[in-house]
Amino acid sequence: MAFGQILVNWLLLGSLYGAVALGVSLVWGIMNIVNLAHGAFVILGAYAAFWMYTQLHIDPYISIPLTMAFLFIIGWIVQYTLINRVIRAPFLVTFLLTFGLDLLIIDLVQQIFTSDLRSVNTIYAGSGLDIGSTHIAFDRLIAAAIAIVLTAALNYFLTHTREGNAILATGMDRDAARLMGINIRNTYALTFAIGAALAGAAGAMLAELYPFNPSNGDAFKLRAFAIVILGGLGSPWGALAGGLVFGLVETVVPLIPGVGPGYDDAIAFAVLVAVLIFRPDGLLGKPFYR
Amino acid sequence: MILRTKTAPTAKAPSLKQREERGWLWSLLLGLGILGLIATIPWFGDSSALHTWTLILMFVILAQSWNFIGGFTGYSAFGNVAFFGIGAYTTGLMLLSHQPFWLGLIADALVAALFAFLLGLPVLRLRGHYFAIATLGIAEALREFVAVRDIGGGGGGLMSLPLPSLDAYVGFFYAFLGLSLLCLLITVFLTRSRFGYALIAIRENEQAAEALGVPTYWYKVGSFVLSAVPTALAGGLYAYWATGFDPDTVFNVGISAEMVLLTYLGGSGTILGPLLGAIAFEYASFQLQTSGFSLHNTLLGLSIAIVTIFLPQGCVRLIQEFVRKPAPQSTSAHRLIEGVRRVRRFIAANGI
Repeated sequence: MAFGQILVNWLLLGSLYGAVALGVSLVWGIMNIVNLAHGAFVILGAYAAFWMYTQLHIDPYISIPLTMAFLFIIGWIVQYTLINRVIRAPFLVTFLLTFGLDLLIIDLVQQIFTSDLRSVNTIYAGSGLDIGSTHIAFDRLIAAAIAIVLTAALNYFLTHTREGNAILATGMDRDAARLMGINIRNTYALTFAIGAALAGAAGAMLAELYPFNPSNGDAFKLRAFAIVILGGLGSPWGALAGGLVFGLVETVVPLIPGVGPGYDDAIAFAVLVAVLIFRPDGLLGKPFYR
Repeated sequence: MILRTKTAPTAKAPSLKQREERGWLWSLLLGLGILGLIATIPWFGDSSALHTWTLILMFVILAQSWNFIGGFTGYSAFGNVAFFGIGAYTTGLMLLSHQPFWLGLIADALVAALFAFLLGLPVLRLRGHYFAIATLGIAEALREFVAVRDIGGGGGGLMSLPLPSLDAYVGFFYAFLGLSLLCLLITVFLTRSRFGYALIAIRENEQAAEALGVPTYWYKVGSFVLSAVPTALAGGLYAYWATGFDPDTVFNVGISAEMVLLTYLGGSGTILGPLLGAIAFEYASFQLQTSGFSLHNTLLGLSIAIVTIFLPQGCVRLIQEFVRKPAPQSTSAHRLIEGVRRVRRFIAANGI
């Protein structure tokens, strides 16, 4: 395969990874919650997009705002009614709770949609730009663009709006933020809901690009954490950078002689531990607020 | 607080301290009694009861051994199922190369101990979330490795073992029972020994423990190994008992979550907690399964939500809280208020 093609594939895959990790990064950075249900939210987003495509004939990219709104509501409810109740517990409790939610959501999705492999076949699915011998598929290009737009939008929201500033302040110091009159419960619910909505957007892209079934969310669990740790917690651009670096690692490692394909989780794990040992604050070297 | 200071001077018979000192003995006796009752099942129950209780005992062992690292040191190991899988595959490979079963179990314990030691060295330098995710990663990466390299030889890592003889199933039951008895004794030892105190000190305040001269790192590695070995032995027993398994079964992270859930349900860091939690949850789960409810993950997820929100301290501590005597002169109104306070202290105690 041509070098240009590898480069393009890597950039497109990396930005998709960035989109998946964006919500994890926000929720982890602000609330110190490792959301193991993120994969389940991605799958929910994929099925929501799939449902709208088959029932209402809306293209998954166009229905992204609806998917995000749906996941936003679910995320709000989950945080407000469940996770807010255990937020001061040792973190293993929230870890376990989100894992339980993951099991629950995946099981319910499987009941509703069965575990058949689903896919969305749009008219433009096969077509793309051809520059020399390099093929850039339209659907992947749009996904990468959406990932960048989402990252920029999240960054703008956090730094330039009142609610975003409230989220950042809560992430820096919960008690001080509360003393400044910020409603912690609502801010946490908003943070988690945004995280879930971002997962929904990633899910919609997933539905457009790959065939999927309910157990596919697991594939993103470990990867998303590796990416978030690579990029530094709570930083939107960091998540995108982490996604790109991780996409590079995943593209290059199977090319090493003697390794071969199939070791996705092992690669994610190795990246994770290596970063934690050598650069615990991520590649960009700083958490979001410093 | 006021009620408590009143009781202290007037207390006659066993003081709080003495009662606490004797608590471990009652827990041990109760645990022995429960295991003794379970031991009679092969005589009274049919083969389906034997099957169910063999699996319940397996989960008892898994919860008890998770308690060594998760309950005592407070380190959130989320990948202990890796040792279960390692045990299953090591024993399986030994059986396939025509070694006796007991030798397979010994090899399995040694491999798991070595693996836990070597892996614990880097991973136990991590804390909090990072430790939890790294251990989760171990389990996932191992599952993938076993499947990709096809360690079992049956395609995708699937392993099929020769069938044990029919009357061996009672033997499996007693092997699981013996192992859980051993775990119970180790738990009691941990609550009463220097080694166990060091682990509890790590849970309560690792820096303070380190400052007092406890080599916390090595104690953590020790408890990681200690929790890996019974898990791996349970995996080895399960392997021969089930005869056929694949990586998705024995490296299923859901089992890790189940270990944590069972321990939390009973009370993490307590002697009886994992035992009671595992028996209660697994028995209910099997009853539901036989009555046709097939959504195991839904049940697990719902139970996790309920336990983490309403019972984060576990049943044993809840009972302890309620059998604590009220102040001598307190009226029934006082007791009601105190009761409500105790309930509130438990339910949703961690919210904002």
